[in-house]
Amino acid sequence: MTTSIRNITKHREQRYSYGLTLLREEMEKKYPMPKEEDVGKKVVLKGEGINLAFGGLQALMDINFELKEGELLAIIGPNGAGKTCLLNVVSGFYRAQEGEIYYRDRKITHMSSHGIAELGLCRTFQNIALYTGLTVIENLMAARHPHIKYNFLSGMLYFPWASDEEVRQRAICEDIVDFLEMDAVRNHVVGSLAYGLRKRTELGRALALEPRILLLDEPMAGMNRDEKEDMARFILDIYEFLKIPVVLIEHDMGVVMDVADRIMVFDFGKQIAEGTPDEITVNPKVISAYLGTEYAGV
Amino acid sequence: MEQIIKLIVLGLCMGGIYALVAVGYVVVYKSTKVFNFAQAAMITVGAYALYQALIVWSLPIWAAVLFTLAVGVALGLLVERLLMRPLIGQPILAPIVVTLGLMLLLRGVILMIFGGQVYGYGEHFLPLGAWHVGFVTLPMIQVYAFIISMVAIFALIQFYNRTRMGLAMRVTHEDHVVAQNLGINVKRVFQYSWVIACVLGVISGMLLGNIQGCCVELDVTGLMAIAAILFGGLESIGGAIVGGLTLGVLQMLTIGYLAPLMPGEPIMMVPFAFMLLILIFKPYGLFGLVRIERL
Amino acid sequence: MAIHRPCGTFDRTYYEAKAIFRTRLQWGMITALILALYGIAFVMNDYLLGLSIVIFSFIVAMLGIQIITGYAGQITIGHAAFVGVGMYVLACVEAHLGWSWWVGMPLAGIGAGLISMFFGSPSGRLKELYLAFATLAAHFIIVYVISNWESMTGGVDGIWLSRPEPLLGIDFMVEHNYYLLALTLCIAMIYLAKNLARTKLGRAFVAVRDNDIAAEVMGINIFSTKLLAFGIGGFFAGIGGAMYAGYNEYVNVEFFPLMDSIWFLGFLVVGGFGSIFGAICAAVLWKCLDEMATLMTPVFSQILPGLAFYVTASFSLIMYTLIIVIFLVLEPRGINHRWNIIKASYRLHPFAY
Ligand SMILES: Nc1ncnc2c1ncn2[C@@H]1O[C@H](COP(=O)(O)OP(=O)(O)O)[C@@H](O)[C@H]1O
Ligand SMILES: [Mg+2]
Repeated sequence: MTTSIRNITKHREQRYSYGLTLLREEMEKKYPMPKEEDVGKKVVLKGEGINLAFGGLQALMDINFELKEGELLAIIGPNGAGKTCLLNVVSGFYRAQEGEIYYRDRKITHMSSHGIAELGLCRTFQNIALYTGLTVIENLMAARHPHIKYNFLSGMLYFPWASDEEVRQRAICEDIVDFLEMDAVRNHVVGSLAYGLRKRTELGRALALEPRILLLDEPMAGMNRDEKEDMARFILDIYEFLKIPVVLIEHDMGVVMDVADRIMVFDFGKQIAEGTPDEITVNPKVISAYLGTEYAGV
Repeated sequence: MEQIIKLIVLGLCMGGIYALVAVGYVVVYKSTKVFNFAQAAMITVGAYALYQALIVWSLPIWAAVLFTLAVGVALGLLVERLLMRPLIGQPILAPIVVTLGLMLLLRGVILMIFGGQVYGYGEHFLPLGAWHVGFVTLPMIQVYAFIISMVAIFALIQFYNRTRMGLAMRVTHEDHVVAQNLGINVKRVFQYSWVIACVLGVISGMLLGNIQGCCVELDVTGLMAIAAILFGGLESIGGAIVGGLTLGVLQMLTIGYLAPLMPGEPIMMVPFAFMLLILIFKPYGLFGLVRIERL
Repeated sequence: MAIHRPCGTFDRTYYEAKAIFRTRLQWGMITALILALYGIAFVMNDYLLGLSIVIFSFIVAMLGIQIITGYAGQITIGHAAFVGVGMYVLACVEAHLGWSWWVGMPLAGIGAGLISMFFGSPSGRLKELYLAFATLAAHFIIVYVISNWESMTGGVDGIWLSRPEPLLGIDFMVEHNYYLLALTLCIAMIYLAKNLARTKLGRAFVAVRDNDIAAEVMGINIFSTKLLAFGIGGFFAGIGGAMYAGYNEYVNVEFFPLMDSIWFLGFLVVGGFGSIFGAICAAVLWKCLDEMATLMTPVFSQILPGLAFYVTASFSLIMYTLIIVIFLVLEPRGINHRWNIIKASYRLHPFAY
């Protein structure tokens, strides 16, 4: 890509007037935006010595990683390298045999998945995992679940405060739908949406959960170039507007090199390299993993 | 001690039939991934078909048994073609509801034809009487039932291992799409599985009808055999056999030792309590394969 | 398919967007319907009133399984037993404690809810078919306990109980007064169920049904959600059971055979999975068919004297299964979906889509 997507975004005039503002207000009520001096320094997510095996298959081997405040970390690696496994371990779906995970100095290794999600580690899935029977709006509302304040009895009796809360939450979700430019399909059942729109709904659902760290598992897989650019734009907008760190798993090198602050490379469950995009492009180990050993020396 | 051995031997005999029923469930589940609750009703059908041929029509035994087996084959073909094939690809609830419904449908048909009385074969089917081996008294019908069940299961295993169709079925057990791509006629495999299951069902029906008498409630005995499958998971024939035998022994032991302590007929409840316990502690059966879930 | 609304209806607020009845016409129609249902009590004979009361009880019970299976996706083959627990809790409260129906009815709901939660608790680890086995086992265990705990439940003889005590001078021994009570309860329960479905917990139920792994990772505690589904569904079942038992003034284990558990599930599919309207349709259809089968008995007894009882029983068995199968094959999404299509085509008229 000749012009960097990121630069386009940076130099474009602010378009946030109609997207995500309600969500950001909601999030600012709960915790302050990260301080300027923390950005790029303070560690928000840390994994130490993670080992994960399925029977004889070592899916993750002694993985250490750190994600800093306000950072866009990309994870790349061939298929089956264990990238998705790492995200699954972070979100508590797989339990690592060894190793610890810390979120802002809090140990989350043994927390339940939904507890981890409530903390704000929100993710999208490689193989779309939406609630297929619900509409787009309802999918986002379902993700608001931990943040909706009334209990189920007042919901069943539909007390006025439950009704008001529903409307408030709905406004937040509609805001996200606007931001993702999905207004036309907001009342469509997601099972019937096109692939690209479903991927976008997934992103919306992760947003609705009020992410403090966004974990994206191949959000652009299987998209054409236009859709990829759209998606990249959304991700960067979120990243800059909500000031949250993002972990991005992606195969498209163009996108990764453009948007990432730092790149981590996986191969066969091992972390083979880590560094800025420029460092990664010349790293011999990476080249050998992707292109074969004979190219590594070049 | 004598008491225990007696109960265990009798339990094994009963367990043979449970194993046969359980294998019927497994055969269909393995190849079609449909759990056939109606297998329980196949038992009733078998029992009544034999009654019809043997007693009402007074056919000779071989003809009556052949007739019953033919009923089983026909039932299998009909059910597969009319009920199950249109449902291929529908969510899991659909086959559950349909097979449960089919169970009641068959019960309805039998009620309509035979009414609600209990019938027996008297001495027209398996020989009555008993053998005395040491201190154990073995009713002949039980022993024959056990032997016949084991022979039927053995024949099934031979079919799987020795014939082309058996091979095709084993491939289909692994993956429907792969099997289809290998040129196996998956629909034919489904058909065979249903037919085999129904035949196993009517065989166990004949045996149970002989032991317990023909009544529409025989299908509850069939449902009890589900507990047997939970031993080895839904996909293991070996597990079903072991499970069936264990279930039979357990049931006899309960009758011997627990029944006096409990009100009513715990014999009906024991297999289900047992089932619930297995499910709570080992969700995929005692020796079953754990299903992997991915994201 | 997007949801079609009456032409020219635009939402200006989110309050409007989430309303159940959006237009004046809809409000008018539903009010008219409810008023008609109340008014009709005074013109129906006891036979029709009785049938309606049974239908109302089963609508409530059907809402229960709709919540457990239709919304939360937890297959249960023991729903009739949960209804039975409700009946027996009411009966025991009346017979042993001497409390009135008014206390017994909510207790029946709570008791059935708790039992349902207990037997639903394996759902934390079990799914689909395995859960179906567990609930099937639950059915047999509940029936065994009820028919053998003689000191409490009177064993197979059943228990006699009484109608609700007069309230505000209304005597519920009079058939149409009980009808009004049942109707009121039924509408209240429908209202609760509908609100449940469209608020927080209802969405969590559907999330668990559609993709439980994703739901867990997206911040929904699926175990407690499933338990709540069983609890609330059991509560509805219990209330339905109490309405039914109160009307009959007698309970017996024969009131909830395994067959009924299966019909609950089957007619749920016929009515439509995951919709309140579907559950209502299902219950109405089921009980009307039941009544039809009973009405046919004299006819059968003329054609086949002696066998009439069995013919009636088998007739309903065969007919219900055929209806269920036909629906599953031709309209797996049930009456509710058909009805939506009809509404949509009316609204879009004269265009086809
Ligand atoms: N639940 C599981 N059971 C067994 N093996 C698994 C499981 N999940 C992932 N794996 C294996 O772990 C390895 C890494 O997978 P994954 O993380 O999905 O790779 P990717 O980097 O492409 O996302 C693969 O070999 C995969 O087969
Ligand atoms: Mg992956």
